[in-house]
Amino acid sequence: MVRKPALIERITSDRPPEPIARIRFTSALRSEGMAARLGVALGIAFTVAFATGLFSHFLQHPPSWLDWPSRPTWLYRVTQGVHVIGGIAAIPLLLAKLWTVYPKLWQWPPLRSAAHAAERGLVLLLVAGAMFQLVTGLLNIAYTYPWSFFFPVAHYWTAFIVYGALVVHVTNEWAKVRRSLPEPLEGGRRGFLLTVGAASGLAVLLTAGETVTPLRRLALLAPRAPGVGPQGLPVNRTAQAAGVVAPGPDYRLEIGALSLSYEDLRRLPQHTVELPIACVEGWSASARWTGVRLGDLARSAGASPDAVLRVESLEPHGGYRTSELRPPHWTDPLTLLALRLDGQTLHIDHGYPVRLIAPNRPGAQQTKWIHRIVIT
Amino acid sequence: MRIAGYALGGGLILLGLAGLALNAGQADPLSWALWFGGGVVAHDFVLVPVTLALGVPLRRVPRPYRVGLVVAAMITLVSLPVVLGFGRRADNPSQLPLDYGRNLAAVLLGVAVAAVAADAWTRLRRRRHGRAAPPSS
Repeated sequence: MVRKPALIERITSDRPPEPIARIRFTSALRSEGMAARLGVALGIAFTVAFATGLFSHFLQHPPSWLDWPSRPTWLYRVTQGVHVIGGIAAIPLLLAKLWTVYPKLWQWPPLRSAAHAAERGLVLLLVAGAMFQLVTGLLNIAYTYPWSFFFPVAHYWTAFIVYGALVVHVTNEWAKVRRSLPEPLEGGRRGFLLTVGAASGLAVLLTAGETVTPLRRLALLAPRAPGVGPQGLPVNRTAQAAGVVAPGPDYRLEIGALSLSYEDLRRLPQHTVELPIACVEGWSASARWTGVRLGDLARSAGASPDAVLRVESLEPHGGYRTSELRPPHWTDPLTLLALRLDGQTLHIDHGYPVRLIAPNRPGAQQTKWIHRIVIT
Repeated sequence: MRIAGYALGGGLILLGLAGLALNAGQADPLSWALWFGGGVVAHDFVLVPVTLALGVPLRRVPRPYRVGLVVAAMITLVSLPVVLGFGRRADNPSQLPLDYGRNLAAVLLGVAVAAVAADAWTRLRRRRHGRAAPPSS
């Protein structure tokens, strides 16, 4: 393949000398077929991210008319893992795609008509939005927040902008994609696509182990290591961060009209379940929990089968101080008020004296340091 | 069909903008706009020009090394937040628990070794097939 000697090449002679038009991009790797292939991959990645993101949002803010099921136990673990690891995989794809179409940024004239201006404006929304989602997402999973918006709100609403701009973009480019996809890529271009795929795949391999157990030893660059933390389990919010101190012997758990001491709870029938903590940041880790079945306790406290339970933490404030359990979750026999983790008394950072553990539920809703359960 | 695409896309965009506006207290429009615009500006006017400029002297480098450099650069970029480690908290050692600088160095070393091996392999194959090595790139 013959390459032009310089990247920014000679002045185009057949056009009036507009300064920007002089830039010529000479890499033969750029082509419509390349843009189409990367575009299809990104379209799939963003569709999956949008769907799993909406799912996560609705689990955390369920509308009153929709109860989500407690099974399969691993559902949220998988969807959120796909959301986060898929987002990481999309970063090399996005960079490669934007590099492929970069010359279009400098097209001359910049705006040919009102329709062209609208099209370019929407592409700008798409590029800025895609960049925003991937950059803020990547920083958020690394617990780094160099902004003053609330990440979940900004990431959620921006997703609609990005996906809307993507739908418009796909509508505009669909004919080109259909035309160029059947054409095979030539050697150098195929190599470039494989390189981008390798970077994306390697990024996945080096992070997915924070939620995909068989890959845990490869998770060299993941923000979490599933076995690292008090009692071998990671923690998102420590007791210190939450402002919680271990309660003394006067601790009581109130549920409905019942009031139980820690010893009372220990004397009730104990059950052991294996359930994961699956966090919105994409990591997850399974553990063996032992405690009292919430369903049994709630029924003996007088909860009707369609009751909604509100679990309240000793945490003095914060958005995750309480969580709500609808019937599918509190009646599930796997749902426990856990007192022990892998056979040991719960560490304070895991919610001593009592925490909630339920299947198919975001980690932020597995409320720790429980002192009251309100039945409504 | 096109009209349906534009209507759906336009509707989603308006929904997103409305959501941000209605939640302005939490979405902090100024900070949001800074990050929304800042990312694309940093990419289009810093990251890509720097990449293009770095690409010029690399044109003569054999392909396995160029592939290795692209992969290494992308992995470095993706791992920057954990390597910089601004999200570490003294009370929570399970958050960013690894030595990411060392791990990144190990990964980059692995990529370098793979590039050297791939280069050696192509040279060996060329020699075995009795062909003169074509000019790189």
